[in-house]
Amino acid sequence: MASIEFVNVTKEFDKKEIIKDLNLKIEDGTFTVLVGPSGCGKTTLLRMIAGIGPQTSGAVLIDGKDVTDIAPGKRGVAMVFQNYAIYPTMSVRENIEFGLKNNKVKKAERTELVESISAAVGLTDFLDRKPSTLSGGQRQRIALARAMVKKPSVFLMDEPLSNLDAKLRAQMRIDLIELHKKLGTTFVYVTHDQVEAMSMADTIVLMNQGLIQQEAPPETIYHEPSNIFVAQFIGVPPMNIDELGVGGVKFGFRPESAIGSTEAGTTPFSIRGEVVTREMLGSETLYKINYKDTSFMIKSLEDRFTVNQQVYVSVPTEKMYFFGEDGNRIPTSHPSYSSYIEALRSY
Amino acid sequence: MSRGKLWEKLRPYVMIGPAMIGIGLFVIYPLFYLIYLSLFKFNLMNRNMSKFVGLDNYIQILGRQDFYKSLTNTVVYTAGVVILTLALSLLIAVWLSKRTRVNAIVQAGIFTPHIISIVSVSLIWLWMMEPSLGFLNYILKGLGLPTSQWLQSSKSAMMSIIIVSVWQAIGYYTLILVAALQGVSPTIYEAAALDNASKVKVFRKITLPLISPQLFFILIIMTIGSFKVFDTVKIMTGGGPNNATNTLVYYIYSYRTTNIGYAAAAGVVLMIIIGILTIIYFRLMAKKVHYQ
Repeated sequence: MASIEFVNVTKEFDKKEIIKDLNLKIEDGTFTVLVGPSGCGKTTLLRMIAGIGPQTSGAVLIDGKDVTDIAPGKRGVAMVFQNYAIYPTMSVRENIEFGLKNNKVKKAERTELVESISAAVGLTDFLDRKPSTLSGGQRQRIALARAMVKKPSVFLMDEPLSNLDAKLRAQMRIDLIELHKKLGTTFVYVTHDQVEAMSMADTIVLMNQGLIQQEAPPETIYHEPSNIFVAQFIGVPPMNIDELGVGGVKFGFRPESAIGSTEAGTTPFSIRGEVVTREMLGSETLYKINYKDTSFMIKSLEDRFTVNQQVYVSVPTEKMYFFGEDGNRIPTSHPSYSSYIEALRSY
Repeated sequence: MSRGKLWEKLRPYVMIGPAMIGIGLFVIYPLFYLIYLSLFKFNLMNRNMSKFVGLDNYIQILGRQDFYKSLTNTVVYTAGVVILTLALSLLIAVWLSKRTRVNAIVQAGIFTPHIISIVSVSLIWLWMMEPSLGFLNYILKGLGLPTSQWLQSSKSAMMSIIIVSVWQAIGYYTLILVAALQGVSPTIYEAAALDNASKVKVFRKITLPLISPQLFFILIIMTIGSFKVFDTVKIMTGGGPNNATNTLVYYIYSYRTTNIGYAAAAGVVLMIIIGILTIIYFRLMAKKVHYQ
């Protein structure tokens, strides 16, 4: 078990700064998900913890100890790679016990560990097979078993589910949550998929262009996004955002906060538009509503409207968000907050 | 209807026909002709005077000292060239596998001997290895090291030829191995680093198995090629001094006018030896080679 801390970390690739003066603390025993679009620096951070892509300057601390000069294999971390990085010439058993052998674990203990871990991930029947004869899901399990068997204090995962099909991915998400609960170690998980982030994380660290946009539990990230980027990155479909027309301020609301109706609403934000598309997803239906020269997505549990129908869309005041010119969210305590609400009436 | 069916049956044979004619004419026919010749005391002046002697030529070969001498020479040469070339090109390939500009230049430099004619290479080395005026002894003398008689002594002649062959071959095999090394996914090395593997262990347990198909390929190709060595011997020593560098093909060549039947029989023996060696390689090594 270990906590991880980045102190003024900077990373350059070919003289280009990818990460600049980043500070972050990952608490012991948490499931932390680093999420962001590609190129945002999340994998770079993960590789710094592992020691396979050291920082240009600054320090990475594991359990309060600077690990900059400690070799990757001696940091007590294990990593699951996006392409699994399984040793193709070794059998499943050799793959799993390679790290143990290098750490001079006795043969009897090694065998016992390999057997128990492979039973836990369902690989017992494949121990003497070559990885190339196994499916993607099974290889994923080899990678997991290889990491688990070393009993690391930190688990690092770099988009481990991205090569699996949708159904298996959903299953593995649940397996990983259970695994984290069982082991209680620190998990650091990198993904660009906000669904994975929301479903598994204790804490989400949302990054963009090398900067941390927000660091909070999933509920907070969802309900109290710190800026427009966070608001639009998390949530499917993303938050509707448009200009308020007052001092560069923007307003936004989540698709499921909007109430569609055939009668005019009474809230400050109430508009009348036309349904352009309808996506019936089973438990819910998505509509794209055209209003003036813009459009909004709304999500409804009922399937009441048809394409080309004129509908009223209203959003409860408490579910409206406002963002300042710099993109940051304006808190409800802000002095002009009520004036922004009023401004919605003339939208 | 029946014509259509006939064509249906003939078509595959017609399709492979041109290739088969080529193979038949240039591979199968010469091979059988070689075996046929080896059974005769062949007369080049008048074919009709040739005499069928059965296995006499073979019996003669297996009973002659000079054949065993050249067979031993060939084995020594092959072992020297294969082991040195494999070891050196692997070493250089590991050194050059990082993609930098300097490495690209060095690699081009090492590859250059491969594009030069072996005749020119042999001549230049012949000149450099000249004992009293040659460049190599000049350098050795300059460094205060003992000089060598190189090609002029039966003790060092074989070594000298091996040096030239290795020098010429290294660049090509380095190129193959560099490509193989660069084909290994870097994440595998990162995974190994996280598994706390030492450098030696990574090389033995990961790198070597991953490039084993290429190493095996080089081993087979080089063994076959070295057993058939001719040009360096012909130009640099002519089999001498005192038969010290007389190899099998050169041995065959020396009978090209005097005894065709005997030369043909030696050729067949050489072919059988190479065939047996290749089979042994496949039997012994196939399990250690990891094809993906």
